[in-house]
Amino acid sequence: MSLLANRAAPRQVAALSKRRGRRGPRTGWRGPLLVAPFFVFFAAFGAYPLYYALQLSFIDWHGGATYRWVGLSNYTYLLTNPDFWGALGNSAIIWLLIVPAQTIGAIVAAGALSRAKLRFKRLLRTAVIIPYVTPLAAMAQAFVLIFDRDYGVVNHLLGMAGLPSVEWLTSTGWSKVTIALLVLWKSSGFALIIMLAAIQGIPGEVYEAAALDGAGPVRTFWSVTVPLMRHAIAFFVVISTLGISQMFLEPYVLTGGGPYNSSTTTGLYLFQHIGASDLGTGAANTFLLVIMVLGLSLAAVRVFRESK
Amino acid sequence: MAYPQDQLLSLTSRRDVLRGLGVLTAGSLLAACGVPTGSDKPAALGSSAAPSAGADVRGQVTLWMRDDDLLKVFRTVVPAFNARYPNVKVDLKGVDINSKLPPALISGAGLPDGSFWEDDQIGQHGEHLYDLTALMAKYRDDTIQFKLDVLTQGGRLVGVPWDTDPGLLYYNDAVLSGAGVDPASLTDYDALLDAARAIKAKNPKARPIPLEQDDTLGMMWYTMFLNQQQGHGLVDPSGNLTLDGEASRRALTWIKTVVDEGLGARQKFASTAQITMLDEQIISLVPWAIWFIFIPQSGLKKTTGQWRVANLPAWTQGGARSGLMGGSSFVIPAKAKNPELAWLFYEFAVYDPEGYRKVFSKNSVYPTGLNTVVPSVKSALDPAKPLVERLPQLGGVDNWAISTKAALDIPAGYTAPTWYGQAAKYLGANLQRLMDGKMSVDEVISRSTADIKKNLIDRN
Repeated sequence: MSLLANRAAPRQVAALSKRRGRRGPRTGWRGPLLVAPFFVFFAAFGAYPLYYALQLSFIDWHGGATYRWVGLSNYTYLLTNPDFWGALGNSAIIWLLIVPAQTIGAIVAAGALSRAKLRFKRLLRTAVIIPYVTPLAAMAQAFVLIFDRDYGVVNHLLGMAGLPSVEWLTSTGWSKVTIALLVLWKSSGFALIIMLAAIQGIPGEVYEAAALDGAGPVRTFWSVTVPLMRHAIAFFVVISTLGISQMFLEPYVLTGGGPYNSSTTTGLYLFQHIGASDLGTGAANTFLLVIMVLGLSLAAVRVFRESK
Repeated sequence: MAYPQDQLLSLTSRRDVLRGLGVLTAGSLLAACGVPTGSDKPAALGSSAAPSAGADVRGQVTLWMRDDDLLKVFRTVVPAFNARYPNVKVDLKGVDINSKLPPALISGAGLPDGSFWEDDQIGQHGEHLYDLTALMAKYRDDTIQFKLDVLTQGGRLVGVPWDTDPGLLYYNDAVLSGAGVDPASLTDYDALLDAARAIKAKNPKARPIPLEQDDTLGMMWYTMFLNQQQGHGLVDPSGNLTLDGEASRRALTWIKTVVDEGLGARQKFASTAQITMLDEQIISLVPWAIWFIFIPQSGLKKTTGQWRVANLPAWTQGGARSGLMGGSSFVIPAKAKNPELAWLFYEFAVYDPEGYRKVFSKNSVYPTGLNTVVPSVKSALDPAKPLVERLPQLGGVDNWAISTKAALDIPAGYTAPTWYGQAAKYLGANLQRLMDGKMSVDEVISRSTADIKKNLIDRN
């Protein structure tokens, strides 16, 4: 009897597992129910607005009762509009002024700050993060005063050094430089935090091995530290690119996008459409930016992955 | 033994849950297919819709104001309003109106019952606002005409006119007398140029006339010159651009002369640098909106008391000595919950003498009265019954009489095209190039006309 029972047992187990395999455990539907709120919220506040915006990009609509389907007209208008490309060019120049300098500066500073013998290390770490936690609008106003052509302290110092005044905020070339200086001042502390975290994650054994191989501090930094930080560098370049593509407040407060739209960034240009209730063009502008920034970000990630 | 929650959950299967989620998602997408859902043309808020006065009126009304001194001023009106309507609770909120009101109007969510708004912003949102034509009928004759023109969209009056911002001439009396210029001679813009030349001859560092560095404000300044000469602004009553007209060329040529002769100071309005220039007598002749008055009133130290105010010079012999530069009104969203209560408050604050005296006469916010703007109600603009006091900072001149005359003299016929604000990107930027000496008058006209036609008129 027991033998028969024992022989029957594997068949019962197999039948049970087959049934469970087909229909799953009896409580399996509770999982989807528990995660359902996320999907509901995502559908309502993520997917739906995106879908809505995509639809808007094919419509000429200023928020009123009348609207009309215009196909790709909003996209072709933007792609053939010098203002759109001008804003893109301004953002590209600002990117060039900020990202390479900030990335290299943050790597070097993180390397220095991570050295055990550096004095006032804690004080320095605190000092560099202060600008990051200072309200941007307030600092932008301060920059307006500091870089004023006639009464700003920067031109005053240049004058004391016998150098000519610079139209920091009112010339087409320098206005972008001033915006870049504000961003560098504001966000370099954040860049440093990222690089510092990456540097501190490198195992000490790697440095010991490099030392045993006779590598000096400079060689160790460029051949060991920097390559092992490439993921952090890629991350920082990508989020900086995203940030600059959406940059709005800095030019809005410092220059208003001027002079002659020379410091109008892609973010400010987009705002001008939305602010004028030209919602269709604004939506098309958004998707063009998304495509461009996505492409650039993927390219950056690929470059850093291939450098492995 | 099953737990209670198991019994409850067993009533629905996993498939049912997923089906429900699917329905929700599909519903969202189907709803999306219908967007944008435009509203029907809003009904007019007729006089019959307004409730009778007194204690019978009940409810709560939410009104948005610009979050600055004006909010504090209008809060002083509420007790007087409540004395008449004791059962109406007024919730005045300080809001960044230009960023919050347009999306609220479009979506219909979070709307106030009424809101303050700059006149040049109202036009492009007219169809989201109540038509107040019927309610305003009894006040039309007592309202400055150009305010009615500005607020009329397709025959619908979409706002309660509040303030009028005429242009005035502010000048430094000490600088003028030092240069031997009689202020009474500043009756036309050529005389203003001559005065600037005389001042510069006396003090080579002087740049007497401010040339605005902000695109939008620079364009408003130029539009004031147009309104002063031809009544209408950037467009004529038929909607045609007026940039290539005689008035425009005259104004642009005058600005170019200021630039070419080094008579202009390039700074932004009320910036620290401009205030320093005013206080150092570098700037001394300011044809600008009435609201410049706050600078000599509170921003200057060395030259306080030296400033005076007069009516604008004229462009031609016998031409208007006034023009508009700004202005704001109150609007009632078509989807407001309590539009009648909003109307009652605005009617009281704007047209009732008790209400507008509360706003303009001296109060805790403005100890000498609200003098940066003047009412749009003609009966309030009596030179013999000033709502504000004279200022020692302006040498005690009768600024009320000068301001009210300017308000009443603003040429009628002005309309703000729906794209006015966006034109700053083109016309405003080109005016900046002109003021920097990098563009000729002809180039400003031709490029601005082409850009506005291509980017604004053809796309609106």
